[in-house]
Amino acid sequence: MTLSTALRRLAAALLLMMVAVWPAAAAEDKAAVKPKPLRIYMALWRGWEEAAQGFKDYFINQNIPVELIVRDAAQNKDKLKEFVAEAKQMKVDLVFTWGTTVSEEMLGRIDSVDPTRHITDIPAIFAIVSQPLGSMVSDFASSGRNITGTIYLVPTETQVNLIQSYRPFKRLGVVFNPLERNAQVAIAELTAIGAKTGFSVESRALELSDGKPDPASIKGKVAELKAAAVDFLYIGPDTFLNVNRDILTGAALEHAIPTFAAGENPVLTSKALFGGVYRYYTVGQLSAYKAEQILLHKIKPADIPIDPPKRLSIIINMPVVRQLGLYPPMKLLGLAEVIDPTQEGKAK
Amino acid sequence: MTLDRTRPLFIRLLLLALLVLVPPVALLAHGAMDDFARGLVPEMDKKAAVVGRDLASSIERAVNYGIPLDKLHGMPEFFEPVLGANREIRYLAVTDRDGRILFISGADAALLAPFFSSADFDIAASRKALIDNFVDITQPLMFKSALIGHLHVGLDQDYVQSRVLEIGVDIGVVTLVSLLVAVEILLFVVTFNITGPIRAASTVMDRVRHGDFSATCGVTSEDEVGRFIHTFNAAIRYADGLFRRLEAYLDEVKTAHFDKTVVERVAEIESRIRFLFRFSRSSQPEVVNEHQATDIRLPLFLFVFAEEISRSFMPLYIRDLYMPVDWLPLEMAIALPIAVFMLCIAAISPAAALVSARRGSRRVFLIGLAPATIGFLMSALATNVWDFTLWRSLTAVGYALVTMACQSYIAQASRQQNRTQGLGVYVGAVLTASICGTGIGGVLAERVGFAATFMISAILAVIAGLLIHRLMEAAQPAQDAAPERRVAFLPLLRNWRFSALVLFAAIPSKIALTGFFFYLMPLSLMRSPDTDLGDIARMMMLYPIAVVILSPLASRLADRMGWKAGLVAIGGLIGGAGLVLPMVSPDSDLLGLAIVLLGVSHGLSASPQLAMIPDICWTECRNIGQTNVLAFLRLTERIGSVIGPFLAAAFIPLFDYTGAVVALGWVVLGMSTVFALLSFAFGSGPHIEAEDTE
Repeated sequence: MTLSTALRRLAAALLLMMVAVWPAAAAEDKAAVKPKPLRIYMALWRGWEEAAQGFKDYFINQNIPVELIVRDAAQNKDKLKEFVAEAKQMKVDLVFTWGTTVSEEMLGRIDSVDPTRHITDIPAIFAIVSQPLGSMVSDFASSGRNITGTIYLVPTETQVNLIQSYRPFKRLGVVFNPLERNAQVAIAELTAIGAKTGFSVESRALELSDGKPDPASIKGKVAELKAAAVDFLYIGPDTFLNVNRDILTGAALEHAIPTFAAGENPVLTSKALFGGVYRYYTVGQLSAYKAEQILLHKIKPADIPIDPPKRLSIIINMPVVRQLGLYPPMKLLGLAEVIDPTQEGKAK
Repeated sequence: MTLDRTRPLFIRLLLLALLVLVPPVALLAHGAMDDFARGLVPEMDKKAAVVGRDLASSIERAVNYGIPLDKLHGMPEFFEPVLGANREIRYLAVTDRDGRILFISGADAALLAPFFSSADFDIAASRKALIDNFVDITQPLMFKSALIGHLHVGLDQDYVQSRVLEIGVDIGVVTLVSLLVAVEILLFVVTFNITGPIRAASTVMDRVRHGDFSATCGVTSEDEVGRFIHTFNAAIRYADGLFRRLEAYLDEVKTAHFDKTVVERVAEIESRIRFLFRFSRSSQPEVVNEHQATDIRLPLFLFVFAEEISRSFMPLYIRDLYMPVDWLPLEMAIALPIAVFMLCIAAISPAAALVSARRGSRRVFLIGLAPATIGFLMSALATNVWDFTLWRSLTAVGYALVTMACQSYIAQASRQQNRTQGLGVYVGAVLTASICGTGIGGVLAERVGFAATFMISAILAVIAGLLIHRLMEAAQPAQDAAPERRVAFLPLLRNWRFSALVLFAAIPSKIALTGFFFYLMPLSLMRSPDTDLGDIARMMMLYPIAVVILSPLASRLADRMGWKAGLVAIGGLIGGAGLVLPMVSPDSDLLGLAIVLLGVSHGLSASPQLAMIPDICWTECRNIGQTNVLAFLRLTERIGSVIGPFLAAAFIPLFDYTGAVVALGWVVLGMSTVFALLSFAFGSGPHIEAEDTE
């Protein structure tokens, strides 16, 4: 980054010199030196969080003037239609969509893109989409459409390896929301890997009340998993469970079941034991970098591959470690980011 | 086979070079190695301390997170990469405050426990101690400024010793190679500048002694020898001038004198002079150059050196170039360029021999250098197995041309002398080059990489070319006008003794050479983690060294006992048995022994194989010439050279690397056994039998 910053500064300096030497071109070049801020429409699902912050900070750090138009759907699907209309009417330069639902509703699933219902003319970047392959794009190398995006989930196989490297296990427990397709896809993948590497998956669907999953049923399901003698509890990319993470991880801790989370929140702000994730903040930054590629370097979104951040974050929740007495292997500890509020300030 | 007449000179020069070169090198090396060993110890201590502090701080961090020291998890995996990356560190251990071992990797806990529990470690500083054969560097582990235990880094005292030994061996190899190169150059300088001219002078003097003043020596150098030759030539020319003046005077007398008897008398004197002495007719004297087989020895040496440089790492280089394809597995891909190289040599050699005889050795040598040099150069730049195979076959074409040119030069130069002496020069140059090339190639490849080493090959080939170009202009032996007619070789195969020799002795010996030595050897040695390229090269040097030492012994033995087939059979059996040896254990020492035994085998059987030919192919030698029979033997045995690598490659997926060596050994041993049994039937009187079959 520092090199590209330096290059940009150098380019700017050269431009200024040209302005000084070449008065005739001055009028045009001044526009290049001080451009009108780019307008980016940010459609969020559950409010401002780390990914959005990373996205915003990138432009601030890179000194790129942008005007962010931030809209929060607050987990209400109906609002997304209004967002599409608004973005089109405002003629923004780029659209950023957060989450699977927002991205699918605003940009259209790959098999059902409709220019009247979806944004097609304005370039778009999606982020925090659990299974972009097959839903948003058919190939990570190129979307083939006017969008690109980032991957935020660590490949399931890598996640399994991480859990194995913490402690070898034979039985993996999963509680899931039967209404979310993501969770079922994740369970199917885990089962397939388990069949190959020799572990079984115990999954328990949450009970529904009024067509919605019932948070009160979480504790019971965890108890069932305990009875089934699972070695680890796996928390997938499940929005409902993410919202109710305290209940889930709390129950697991009560039954002394170690938990692995595919997302960062259960570890960072709740009581999951550890997780292997791409940090939302980093994903946000990477998304902003792709926006820069599109807006300033005029690269077509279809030419920008969809990829995850380079660095995988292993997060270990130390208070939970101590409570369980299940200490991480030294090698993993050396690579991990350790969350330990009691050691604040002297952790590193 | 008696060796060439330069052998005594060679040995004397070798002793001289040994005296001049070795003591100073040994002295310097001794001093340098002392310094090295002394410098290495504090460096190792420092490194151990750094490693220890690093590990200790990781452990302290974990303890700070509330993990009890004795509950640390995954310590073997934590220590393992550190032990793997630092060969001098033998063990890593953590002890608690009382010196009890909590974790240990790399050494037996029981061995160290008594020491750790008795030693007074209750100090919060790092310290060094000697335990048994280890140097133990201790780091304190602290938690909230209280001592909770220690981290121990154990250094191996033998490590310094083994490193010093390794470097010593490296210096030894380099010294041996420089010694041999120096002797080759000395031999060349002495024979080219002194022996050659003196020999030419003695030839001319011999003719003068018989009254022949028609020749002078063709020496142009400006040194003492040159001045002597010039004076000598001047004396001849002076006598020649005197004769011409006398001739003119006699003519004058003959034409001017009227007294018939005087004229008759003068004519009589003239004819008597012409009878007793010979002078060149055209006042232009014939120039005599003495051609010696040794003239070509240095260029040949340099060229073979260039080719042998890649010997020890060739399969490894091909392995690096390989890109996976479904229909060509890695093993076959590695075998391909090696076998194609052999195939090209087999295909080109007969034609190359013909061309050398017709066009002159010097020209063919230079022509052959072009493809060879391009081949070396492009081998360095090759990007995949295919273009590498192409460049290697180009090198092979050059190799065939150059070696055939040398053989034909030597054959022509030593026509008047013993041909076997000439052969001795050839074999000597090739074997010395093989020792030097193999040894230095590994050292070079380790330091500068494979590609750069191929570049060095190209440079050596160019130097060989320059030598030929500059120094051999005058030294072109008279061309052998012998017409090369087509000869029918097939009747040779009907001679069962010859066929048996080819099939069960010559071919298996080549299979062992290319399949085991060229192909499997570097690959299997590289599989052991402690082995580097230098080690492989040093082991592979053992083969030519064994051959060099044993060849003369074997030929003397063959001469004395006259039991040539027996020596060939014993040689084959020894080689096969050597290859089967690794069955006992896949240890690399046994592979080394296999190499030595292969050298013994080839040293024993190579020259008796050739010497047998006149005995078993008596009629054929008479019909088509011994040279042609030998050439046909060379050609047919190359079948073995080509199938060797492929056979080895086919064995690898079936039996793994060591297994492939053993399997190849069984093949060679089996064929040699057949030859051994047949050799009893060779018996005496093959001449008659051969005549009968005609």
